[in-house]
Amino acid sequence: MNRSLIRIIFTFALLLPLQVLVFRNFVVFGTGFSFIYLLCLLMLPVEMSVITGMIVALFTGLAVDLFYHTLGIHAAASVFLMFLRYHWLRMNGPRSGYEVNHLPLLSNYGLGWFIGYALPLIFVHSLVVFFVEAGNVALFWQSTFRALITTIISLIFIVISQYFLYPREQ
Amino acid sequence: MGQLLAFLFKYRAFIVFLFLEVLCIWMIVGNNDYQRTAFINGASGFIGSVNKTSRNIGDYFELSRVNEELATENARLRALLLSQMASEVTLDSTEQVSIVADTTDTVQYVLRQAEIVQNSIRNANNFFMINKGSRDSIKPNMGVMNSFGVVGKIRSVSERYAEGVSVLNTKNPVSVKHVPSGRVGTLQWGGTNPKVSDLFYITPDVTVQEGDTIVTSSYNAIFPKEVMVGTVASVTEDANKTYLQIKVKLSVDYGKLSYVYVIENLHKAEQDSLVETNPIDQQ
Repeated sequence: MNRSLIRIIFTFALLLPLQVLVFRNFVVFGTGFSFIYLLCLLMLPVEMSVITGMIVALFTGLAVDLFYHTLGIHAAASVFLMFLRYHWLRMNGPRSGYEVNHLPLLSNYGLGWFIGYALPLIFVHSLVVFFVEAGNVALFWQSTFRALITTIISLIFIVISQYFLYPREQ
Repeated sequence: MGQLLAFLFKYRAFIVFLFLEVLCIWMIVGNNDYQRTAFINGASGFIGSVNKTSRNIGDYFELSRVNEELATENARLRALLLSQMASEVTLDSTEQVSIVADTTDTVQYVLRQAEIVQNSIRNANNFFMINKGSRDSIKPNMGVMNSFGVVGKIRSVSERYAEGVSVLNTKNPVSVKHVPSGRVGTLQWGGTNPKVSDLFYITPDVTVQEGDTIVTSSYNAIFPKEVMVGTVASVTEDANKTYLQIKVKLSVDYGKLSYVYVIENLHKAEQDSLVETNPIDQQ
């Protein structure tokens, strides 16, 4: 448990500043943002209660919002992501089930499972961010396209960063 | 009662979820509208300084381009100054030249130089932050421009930083004039392409051609009149032929903003107070 906790704190301390200082200025093709900070939320322990998770997500989202000048939008999307994550984790368990004290990471459950787990969650998060930010559905296709590109780019960065941060243990 | 409590306990996660989302919506509605509340202002001090540090690093990579822009602008201003003097002195004269101003009343606009420390162009509603604040007498509703044209207007101010609404903001219309015809319309960004904005309310009887210049109109107390905005990129009639649909290629490259001028209109209070004394005319 302690080992996991240290990992989580380390990830928060690394990715949140990285998100607001580096990745905020980094927009691919003029449409795709990269929300690498979502790894912090995705890697929270499976056993964690949904309420604690949502409160952590709220504060993470708010921290990002302050720098993106969108107070509340990332927070709302992150809370939504955490709420869905709780149910998604139960529906989409790995074949052998979750192991105690294993964080839901690529190194523990494999690339295929992680993408299946992360992709829909990141997509829903991006959709919420872009639709709330646009404020209406007039930019429907633009917002959807943006969310799609953002999801792919975020996922690529989240997967790559895991190979650096948490190399396979076995 | 017991059943009610049991029900609440059973669905506690969902209730907490709803509560947190309502909290977020409350923040979104309260803080992302046109006039931001005091909360973000207080935080701007810290956030501004983080943005400034991150900006300082980026500055080095832009130095040569900024230098070039400033040199070009200097040359233009110098040429302007010389053309003003030309009637009185020759270029090689060593005489001292004084520019005569009748009274202090002739000065209507004061420009203050500032640097952009944070800027966005990829959202539907974009904002920027400058490194001057109330300490440098920046106030809300001052205009912001650079040597290429209109940038936006100041929305909220903290001690050392100020935040502005970019022209690339779907909720920030600017009153502009079509130069060849002198017709006044409204420039409002469509939310997608940061190089192009839409011009509304020009009727089809006006001849608008590609390449026509669009400048700010004199119908506002924020910008001086005839500040460059852009050029017409395309013109089409809308379906019921009420107005022309005009796309304007913006003269400012918002992706590369670095140094800007904040415009103070010394007559603004007077202009506004005159409007307010006639409440019937407002709308």
